[in-house]
Amino acid sequence: MTRNQIHSILLSTFAIVVALIASRPAAAQDAKQPYPSMAPVEQYLMDRDAEIALARSAAPDAISHDASVVVLTRHGYETAVRGKNGWVCWVGRGWMAMFDHPEFWNPKIRAADCLNPPAARSVLPYAYKRTELLLAGHAKPEVIAAIKAAIDKKELPALEQGTVDYMMSKSSYLTDNGNHNGPHLMFYETAKDGAAWGANLTNSPVLRVNYWYISAQSYPQLKSFPPLSVFLVGVDKWSDGTPAPSM
Amino acid sequence: MRKKKVSAIAVLIMSFALLVVLGTSCFATAQQAMAQDATTPYPNMAPIDQYLMTDQGAEIALARSAAPESIARDAEVLVLGRHGFETAVKGKNGFVCIVGRSWTSAADADFWDPKVRVPMCVNGAAARSYLLRITKITGLILAGRTKAQTDETIAAAIAKKELPAMESGAMCYMMSKQGYGGDTIPHWPSHLMFFFSDTDPATWGANLPGSPVFAMADPLEHLTQFVVAVQRWSDGTEAR
Repeated sequence: MTRNQIHSILLSTFAIVVALIASRPAAAQDAKQPYPSMAPVEQYLMDRDAEIALARSAAPDAISHDASVVVLTRHGYETAVRGKNGWVCWVGRGWMAMFDHPEFWNPKIRAADCLNPPAARSVLPYAYKRTELLLAGHAKPEVIAAIKAAIDKKELPALEQGTVDYMMSKSSYLTDNGNHNGPHLMFYETAKDGAAWGANLTNSPVLRVNYWYISAQSYPQLKSFPPLSVFLVGVDKWSDGTPAPSM
Repeated sequence: MRKKKVSAIAVLIMSFALLVVLGTSCFATAQQAMAQDATTPYPNMAPIDQYLMTDQGAEIALARSAAPESIARDAEVLVLGRHGFETAVKGKNGFVCIVGRSWTSAADADFWDPKVRVPMCVNGAAARSYLLRITKITGLILAGRTKAQTDETIAAAIAKKELPAMESGAMCYMMSKQGYGGDTIPHWPSHLMFFFSDTDPATWGANLPGSPVFAMADPLEHLTQFVVAVQRWSDGTEAR
């Protein structure tokens, strides 16, 4: 796999190539999306044991062995395994991408993550909230409005410092593009753009995407959300220790 | 503090290098290797001239090589003078690039090795927090302080908040293909570093089998440094 393919995968999964997308009208994108609406909920669900195993595969066993594991049900995520090291492993679905991401409703997406304690406390609640609202049948604008209201009322927490998210599973399916996967770490920051970390520049190993949107043209309310950047750094091994393709 | 700190960093770096270069994460092996290097060929400070680079252009270029050109070209660059680091190039993107010397950037055994040259480019948050420690230590050393005196002064400055805690988002690039880390670790693998105050390495899953993250926590400096290897040198060529 070439470096460009890996970059493409990472960016496709979490943001799509920003420059490419930013120049295209969001409405037009929606019309061309291969997954314009939610598939039957069954298509997003997994065998419980398989989901636990996939979730744990996001991080080396030394971390995920003692982590809590949450699994998706028809109404949201629920705890399947109670851990003891503060980490939480789970399998994200397509709707954890930006709200205007073309693969938002892709039922094939299985993004295994293990979040460290600060991320579990301050990032996962947003994922849970989004998932519950979507599975309850709310439209994206309603979900966005509900999350914004929850943020304003401080029902959702502020981002903690020192968040890390391991995504090193060999078995994840992150996107329809390329080889569908690539091991990496993610860091959540309140930065408004990638400049503070030198991200998205030529030869930089750091990629940055906006957690909420690609362009926000379809969902302008997202622009009023607190800035939340996701920084990605590729690593050279899968969680099982086997070497990954060079980036 | 200095001896403990640098020893720990050296062990970290050695295990890191072993992992990356040899494909093993055996921490015990690294510690054993350190023990074998207990004696140092550099017991005292060399004449200051030996730590300086006579060609300022070369030092600027080496400092910039720590990060991809897309970052380093707009960074401030500091070079080492007889009394400490001085601004040689004013930047405009918040990053600051320097060439670290032995007293901040090498293992204990190489503390006074005048050949050590370790390029790094810190981001704005690290420039306002982590880098201040590097420049303060360097100033003290060049003023003739011993390692112990330097450690004591730095610890006191942190306690009195004359040196700030690590700023949120502080990180640095250490991706230079060039430089020299000393006899213990002649060349560091290409990597990023992240700086936090008083953070348990376990919070990032560091130093565990299979983890791509390495860390060292120094309780006296209230500093935790996380290291993540990357797969390319700053010039884009493959590092493994």
